[in-house]
Amino acid sequence: MRVSGADLTDIARLIVGRLPAPRHAELATFADAEGAAIDRGIALYFRAPQSMTGEDVLELQGHGGPVVMDRLLERVCALGARLARPGEFTERAFLNNKIDLAQAEAVADLIDSASKRAARAAMRSLDGEFSARVNQIDRAVLDLRVYLEAAIDFADEEIDFLAESDAAAQLDAIASLIEGLVDESRRGEALREGLDVVIAGPPNVGKSSLMNRLLAENRAIVTDIPGTTRDLLKADIEIQGIPIRLTDTAGLREGGDRVETIGVERARSAMAAADLVLTVEDASVAAIGGGSESGGLASKFDPSTGRSLRVRNKIDLTDEPPGDGGDMVRISALSGAGVDALRAAIAKVAGVAPGEGAYLARRRHLDALTAALGHCRAATRRVDEGCGDLAAEELRSLQARLGEIVGLTTVDDLLGEIFGSFCIGK
Amino acid sequence: MQHPQQFDVIVIGGGHAGTEAALAAARVGANTLLLTQSIETVGQMSCNPAIGGIGKSHLVREVDALGGAMALATDEAGIQFRTLNSRKGPAVRATRAQADRMLYRQAIRAAVEAADNLTVFQQSVVDLDLVDGRVRGVDTQMGLRFRAGRVVLTTGTFLGGRIHVGLENQPGGRAGEAPSNALAERLRALPLKVDRLKTGTPPRLDGRSVHFSAMEVQASEEPRPTMSVLSTQDVHPRQVPCHITHTNARTHEIIRSSLDRSPMFTGAIEGIGPRYCPSIEDKVVRFADRDAHQVFVEPEGLSTHELYPNGISTSLPFDVQLAAVRSIAGFERAHITRPGYAIEYDFFDPRDLQPSMETRCIEGLYFAGQINGTTGYEEAAAQGLLAGLNAARAAAGESPWCPARYEAYVGVLVDDLVTLGVTEPYRMFTSRAEYRLRLRQDNADQRLTEKGRELGLVDDARWSAFAAKKRNLDRGAAVLSGVVAVPGNDLARALVKATGEAIDRPVSVFEILKRPGVDAGSLTSVLQDRGIAVDEPVVAQLEIEAKYQGYMQRQDEEIARVKANEEVALRPNFDFRAIAGLSNELKDKLAARQPATIAQAARVPGVTPAALSLLLVHAKRDAGEQRRA
Repeated sequence: MRVSGADLTDIARLIVGRLPAPRHAELATFADAEGAAIDRGIALYFRAPQSMTGEDVLELQGHGGPVVMDRLLERVCALGARLARPGEFTERAFLNNKIDLAQAEAVADLIDSASKRAARAAMRSLDGEFSARVNQIDRAVLDLRVYLEAAIDFADEEIDFLAESDAAAQLDAIASLIEGLVDESRRGEALREGLDVVIAGPPNVGKSSLMNRLLAENRAIVTDIPGTTRDLLKADIEIQGIPIRLTDTAGLREGGDRVETIGVERARSAMAAADLVLTVEDASVAAIGGGSESGGLASKFDPSTGRSLRVRNKIDLTDEPPGDGGDMVRISALSGAGVDALRAAIAKVAGVAPGEGAYLARRRHLDALTAALGHCRAATRRVDEGCGDLAAEELRSLQARLGEIVGLTTVDDLLGEIFGSFCIGK
Repeated sequence: MQHPQQFDVIVIGGGHAGTEAALAAARVGANTLLLTQSIETVGQMSCNPAIGGIGKSHLVREVDALGGAMALATDEAGIQFRTLNSRKGPAVRATRAQADRMLYRQAIRAAVEAADNLTVFQQSVVDLDLVDGRVRGVDTQMGLRFRAGRVVLTTGTFLGGRIHVGLENQPGGRAGEAPSNALAERLRALPLKVDRLKTGTPPRLDGRSVHFSAMEVQASEEPRPTMSVLSTQDVHPRQVPCHITHTNARTHEIIRSSLDRSPMFTGAIEGIGPRYCPSIEDKVVRFADRDAHQVFVEPEGLSTHELYPNGISTSLPFDVQLAAVRSIAGFERAHITRPGYAIEYDFFDPRDLQPSMETRCIEGLYFAGQINGTTGYEEAAAQGLLAGLNAARAAAGESPWCPARYEAYVGVLVDDLVTLGVTEPYRMFTSRAEYRLRLRQDNADQRLTEKGRELGLVDDARWSAFAAKKRNLDRGAAVLSGVVAVPGNDLARALVKATGEAIDRPVSVFEILKRPGVDAGSLTSVLQDRGIAVDEPVVAQLEIEAKYQGYMQRQDEEIARVKANEEVALRPNFDFRAIAGLSNELKDKLAARQPATIAQAARVPGVTPAALSLLLVHAKRDAGEQRRA
C-alpha cells in the first residue's frame, strides 16, 4: 500500500508507531486504532520532495490478502487519507516535476487507461440491484431537496413547502435506506467471512475430480478435513486471498437407495446454505443432447440469484475451448484447462474481480455511502434546530456523495424538479 | 459626421445594465459615453416595480458593495420594504422593495448626471465600427460616429424585439418604444450564436377602479430594512402597502376557452419563456388542478394610481385579458390602463463571452444584461457593473477582474453564463450558489468592498463607512473570544439563565454563540449588564459567523482545491480535441466552451475527475511547450 500527501508524519507515527527513517526499509507492526496489530511488514518512508510523487510517501508492505488489506486501508482512510484516483500517483509525480514533460503523453495515457479500467470495475461492482438502490436513495434525497430548496428560493409562494415535506420522517427513511445498503454491501464483500461453495451435479460428471483439481493446486495452503459424513467432503482453500469453504456433494439423482437418498438430502441442504453452487455437467453427455436427468435438483437452483455457476466439465472429450463463456465456464478437471477461469469466476462472486479494480471501486462506494449517512444524520439535527439553510446544505453534500456513485445531480436538475412539481412564479 | 470627442468606453443602453456599466467605467476613471434611445427612460423598470428578493437582493448588495447605484436608488424610491426568509437562516435572508418607478428613474438619472467622466447622448445606435476584429466606435441613426476602443452593449429586449397581444404582433422594444432592428441585423452578421427568448407582462390597472377591501393587505415591515449598507430608513419616501388577491375557477375557465387565440399555444411565439415566471395561461394549463393562483397587486408609485397585478402576465387578446381580470376578486370593475403583452427578443449565447463580459470574437465589445439571456434588473445591474469596469480597465491597459463563485453571486452568475449558457431567461436563485452559506447579503461588503476600493470603484465615503464597520467587528470578535464563562462564575450563571444552555467547562462567549439555542440579543444584554461594551448589531453579525464557522471550514478545503485549479490557465485556443482519452462528446463540449481555467473546465457538465486529470496533465505540457517556444 502506498500513501502520498503533503505531510504523512502523523499517519506514519500512528500506524507504524514511529516515524521510519527516510529511505530505509524498517520492519514494523501496523497498528489499528486500539493499538492492536493489523499486520506485520516493511514500512518505507520517503520525505518530500525526494519521493516518487514529490510529496511525502509512505509504503506499507504487508502479507496482503484482501482481509488484511481492507483493514489497513480502513485505518489509513480513518486517519485522513482517501483512495487515490486511477493513475493519481503518476499524475502527482508529473505535476510535481518528478516526471519529464516529454512523458506527459504517456502519463495521460496511463490515467486514461487506469480510469477506464476503474470505470469498468465500478460498473461490475455496481451490479443492478446495488445501483438501483443507490438511485432510489438519490431520488428520495432529491425529492426532499425539492421541498427544502423551494422553501428557501420561493418563500413568497403560497405553499408551505416545509410542512409538506415531512422532512424529519423523510430523513429517517433515507438514513435507514443508506444504513441497510451499507450493511449489506459490507456483507456482500465476503472478504472477512469467506465464501461457502458447493459442488453439485449428477453422478459421474467429475465433481470429485474438480474438487481434487481445486485442492491439488492449493496444496501448499490446504488443510484437508475429513467429511463429517461419508457423502459430504469439505475442504478449505483460498482463491485470490478469499477464504473458500469447498463442499463436494453426492451425485444428485432421484430414486437411489436409502443411503444415497440421505446423501441427496444433505446435498440439498448444503446447496440451500451455500453462497455459491457450482452445478457441474458432463460435456460429452451435453454434446449428444443427453443430461436431461442431470437437470434435476441442480436446475431448481435459480441461477438468476447469482448464487449458481454452471460448469461444463470434461471438455477434453469434446474439444470445446476452455474458459468463461458468460453463461458457463468450460473446464477439464483432468487436464486443468479452464480451471483458472473458474477460479476467477468464483472470486467475482465474492466481489473481487481480477486485479484490485472492483475491490477499490466497492471501497469507494462504501466510503461515499458512509459519508452520505453522516450528512443525513446532520441534516436531521439541523431540521430539529429549525436551521433550514443548514439542513439544505447537508442535503446538498449528501447528494454530492451519492453523485460519486450514480452521477451528479446538477442545480438545473433540481430547479427542473421544483418547476415541474409546483406552480411557481408571478 | 464624426463626433470630435474620443471616448475610452461607450455604453449603449440606459437600463439597469447600461447605467451601472457607465457609472462603473466612469468611476474608475474612464472617459465614458452613455448612448440611449431616450434620456427620459434611463433607469426605467420595464417589468414589475420591485427590486430585490431572494438571490436578487444578494446581487444588489454586491453591486452596492462595489459602489454601484442600484441599492441607493432603491432606498430613495422604495415604497414598501420587507425581509424574506427571516426565519430560514441568515444566508438565505433577503430584502425586497417595491419601488416608485418615477422616483427610481429620477434617482438613477441623478446619479448618472452627477458622475464625473460620464457624458450622455440621446440617439439610437445603428451600427458598430469594426476594423480587423476589434471595435473602434459606433454609428447612430443620424449618421453620427462616436469613437471608442471599448463598447458595452446593453440592449435589453430591444434587439429584434417583437410584441405579441393575442394573434396580433408588431415590432417593439418595450410597449410604445421602437426596437433596434438595424443594430440587430448588424449583430446577427457577427460570428456569435443568436437565439430568441420570450418574456411577458400583465395588464396594468387603474387603482381607482379596484376594490382593495376584497384583498389581503401587506404593509412594509417596521423597522424597515434598507437595500444599501449606507442608507438608513429615513431616506425612504412615504410607504404604501401591497395587496394580495387570487384568480378563481371562472378566471381559469375564461382563459382555457380562449387558448386558441393565445400566441403561446398556437405557436406564434417561438422564444423560450422562463419556467419560474410563467404566464397565467401557462399556469392554468400546466397546473390544471389548482383552482386559484396568487396575484400580488403592486402600486406603481406614489404619484400614480396605476397598479401592477403581478402573477397574471399574459399575451392573450385584449378582450380575454379584460374578462379574466374582471373575474378576479377586487377587480370586478377594473379598468385596464395598458394591455399585457409577451415580447420576443434576440439574445446572444453567453458562452461566446469571456468572464470579463468581453465577446471572444470582437476585441473591445462587451455584452451585459438581457442580451446575454438573463432576466431581472438585479442580474442586469451586476453584469453591467462588471462589463463597465472591465471595459474601462482594458482601456487603461489593465487585466480584467471577475469574482470567483465562492466570493460573490456576481461570480456565480457570470460563471454560469459563460460556462453553461442559458436555456431559458436566467434568473438568480440561492440554490445556484454552492457556497451559499458564505455569500450572504449581510457580508456582501466584507466580501467585496476592499476589492472594490482597490479597483477604484469605491469612493471615500463608502470606504470610511466600511472601515468603521470592520473595526467594530474586529473589536467585537476580540471581546467575545476574550470573555470566558467558567462553570459556576457569575457570567456562566447569567448565560445559563438567559439561554437555557448548559456550561460545563470554561468556554469563550464566541464559542457559546455557535450553539443553535443562543441568540445575539440575549447574549448582548447579559454582557452589557456586566459592563462589557458590545453592540447588538455587531454581536448579531458575529453570531452569523460563529454559527456557520464549521461549515465555512469544511468549504475552505474545497475552495482551496478550486483555487488551485483556477491557477491553471488554458490558452484561449487550447486544442481540446487533441487530448486522447477524452470522449468525443466531452471534446466537443470543451471545444465549444473553451474554458479559461481548469476550474472552469471542471464545471462543464460531464467532466469527470479522470477527464480533469487528463486536462491538468495536458495543460502543464502545453505551458511547458509555450515556454520553450
